[in-house]
Amino acid sequence: MNNDAINPGKVVLLRDARDALADAETLLAAAKAAVTAAVTRDGAIAGDLLDRHQFAAHGYAWMATYVAALGRMLSWAVRLDESGRLAEIETLMLQAAFGEYLAQLEGGIAMSQGEIVRPAEIGLDDATLRAFRTAAVSGLIARGNTDSVRMRLSELLTQTMESGHFGDPGLDDETLDMMRDQFRRFTAEQVTPFAHEWHRRDELIPMSVIDQMAEFGTFGLTVPENFGGLGLGKAAMCVVTEELSRAYIGVGSLGTRSEIAAELIRMGGTDAQKHHWLPRISSGAVLPTAVFTEPNTGSDLGSLRTRAVRDGAVYRITGAKTWITHAARADLMTLLVRTDPNEPGYKGLSMLLAEKPRGTEGNPFPAEGMSGGEIKVLGYRGMKEYEIGFDGFTVPVEALLGGVEGQGFKQLMATFESARIQTAARAVGVSQNALELGLTYARDRIQFGKAIRHFPRVYGKLAWMAVETMIARQLTLFAAAEKDSDRRCDIEAGMAKLLAARTAWSNADNALQIHGGNGYAEEYQISRVICDARILNIFEGAAEIQAQVVARGLLSRRN
Amino acid sequence: MKILVAVKRVIDFNVKVRVKADRSGVETANVKMSMNPFDEIAVEEAVRLKEKGVAAEVIAVSMGPQSCQETIRTALALGADRGIHVNTDIELQPLAVAKLLASIIKREQPSLAILGKQAIDDDCNQTGQMLAGLLGWAQGTFISKLAIEGAEAEITREVDGGLEVLRLNLPAVLTTDLRLNEPRYATLPNIMKAKKKPIETLSPADLGVDASPRLSTLKVDEPPKRQGGKMVQSTAELVEKLRSEAKVI
Repeated sequence: MNNDAINPGKVVLLRDARDALADAETLLAAAKAAVTAAVTRDGAIAGDLLDRHQFAAHGYAWMATYVAALGRMLSWAVRLDESGRLAEIETLMLQAAFGEYLAQLEGGIAMSQGEIVRPAEIGLDDATLRAFRTAAVSGLIARGNTDSVRMRLSELLTQTMESGHFGDPGLDDETLDMMRDQFRRFTAEQVTPFAHEWHRRDELIPMSVIDQMAEFGTFGLTVPENFGGLGLGKAAMCVVTEELSRAYIGVGSLGTRSEIAAELIRMGGTDAQKHHWLPRISSGAVLPTAVFTEPNTGSDLGSLRTRAVRDGAVYRITGAKTWITHAARADLMTLLVRTDPNEPGYKGLSMLLAEKPRGTEGNPFPAEGMSGGEIKVLGYRGMKEYEIGFDGFTVPVEALLGGVEGQGFKQLMATFESARIQTAARAVGVSQNALELGLTYARDRIQFGKAIRHFPRVYGKLAWMAVETMIARQLTLFAAAEKDSDRRCDIEAGMAKLLAARTAWSNADNALQIHGGNGYAEEYQISRVICDARILNIFEGAAEIQAQVVARGLLSRRN
Repeated sequence: MKILVAVKRVIDFNVKVRVKADRSGVETANVKMSMNPFDEIAVEEAVRLKEKGVAAEVIAVSMGPQSCQETIRTALALGADRGIHVNTDIELQPLAVAKLLASIIKREQPSLAILGKQAIDDDCNQTGQMLAGLLGWAQGTFISKLAIEGAEAEITREVDGGLEVLRLNLPAVLTTDLRLNEPRYATLPNIMKAKKKPIETLSPADLGVDASPRLSTLKVDEPPKRQGGKMVQSTAELVEKLRSEAKVI
């Protein structure tokens, strides 16, 4: 391979990337001004205008996500460079990331397939776009993500894939590296060989696997040490979650429930609730499930209807819940209910820590006043989805989270940053899995006398999958680092989730395409991964909600 | 009793090893490194003996550059109690390693030294034997089974054509074969505990050993590329080609 793949050289590349990032920030500021003008009335953001200009506002959120992503990639590359680890793979990734995202900032961003938001729709005029076209930006667009870059990158990835090296993730922490290695070994032996059959037979993940994960410390990862956890940060959570999800999203998602429940109790619980539940959640003795969604209440939680009526020492619950993951086997429900019927919005909601017996396949909900059934789904199996009906199900009043009614929504909101970061890490794991399946197939499949990875339309897909996976990973790790520094990071977490979920889907789709007809056969793993990937754009804040959160957050953030 | 285990940092077994452009060795820059798999088995066996109450302390020793501490840290996360790092940037060959280990063993007085039978990078398979020779200890190599009974060890060795059972007097040097055990995972709680376990750093000079290499590498080459095969139409043609081209008959 010739040298122009890594032209214009590391020093020049880093300098150009720095300059281009500043230009992208200038462009973003212009977009912010334009969108702000469109959605502001009387000096404040007006909800109706924000809805009316949703396409532009979400486009702005995506632009901001791209600019943040480039910022993270540059910072990652600089850190690697300083410790002599910015090797050829990482250099090419940086270069391709800048080339591609700068070009999309100028030409249009695919918020989803078929929804390309162009600068003009955000309110950017030609003069602003011309000003964006500096020498650094033009150079990176022209030379960043070229065919020769993609060819070389996919060549390098094919060489190093067996050792699990897809570019240095830049964890810069020996302990995190060791955790990653151990989880990699665990999943290679205990999860990867079986996950596809669990999916095909639509089975629950075996308890023996959950027990091993518990012994590993998976469920108490971020729980403080005095409550039986490991007291680790969200960065560790991301590393573990990515590795588990790389093997199987179901396994990577077991921890989500513990993370949400533990976070709810840690931040909103009474001392007694913390002492009772946190050690049990950490050890895996108690498997929690999140019971929030209702048939008519998805993203709009304020309209939630399930009632909890105080009756002496208990609450009596009535109502319907749906999309409850792992509900039958769970021991503890974090149950969002309306305790105050006179308060129709968020303020009437409370969170209950409701115990339930473990169910079986034949009798999923063996509790008085509780019934339900399984919702059959395309992917994201392994824990199963359920709808649940409550009809007089009782919960002791001590189970009220924090001991005060009306706090439920606020308590739940406080966990959203963590849950979104964790979900972003799940998406990075699924993206990585898809990439590896694509690389392996493209290396082994011979057509027209050569491995198909030698065709530009194949290696090009693979190279970009690897690049965007690294972009999503860096954005996710950054959100985690912000959270660990106790900085508000709802926007960063939203961006990470938004981008990582899109990456998981496009990686799975492209990896399946590389498999051709075989990818459509249930026998091949990619047929599962594409079903698993699809959920990531939907749950934990659908892509549209996520863009809304990011847009609203940025527009109301003062400069 | 104390057990000393030796852990070597090697290129990860999954890595496709590449020869350096100047043919002086293999490429290790930005290459994933791990604990030698045979040494993981040694650590596991020592930790099991500790869990059974046979051993009181397990010491993990590694030698080489600063990064070897990561390998020691892994051994500590698997259950070793403390580490010793002989910090040196010079290329260590089996005899030097055996001398350094012998010197550490004289200080630490363990009853058992467990090593991997060989490292997967240079495949020397010499260090354990040299160490036993230098110490004048009994040696049991390629063990697939170990039982400690008082001051003796009963071992099963994998030899050509079968298994050999031997009884050795302690102290002894043992080297592990693949089937001795299946190493555990380092769980997160144990990884966290390992951060607090001590690692002592020594130099070859501290141990009074001249560790300079006795052998020099002339060159390292990639294995020759496989040549494409030829299809022949008939047995007669095959015989003809074997005679005239391959010159094997």
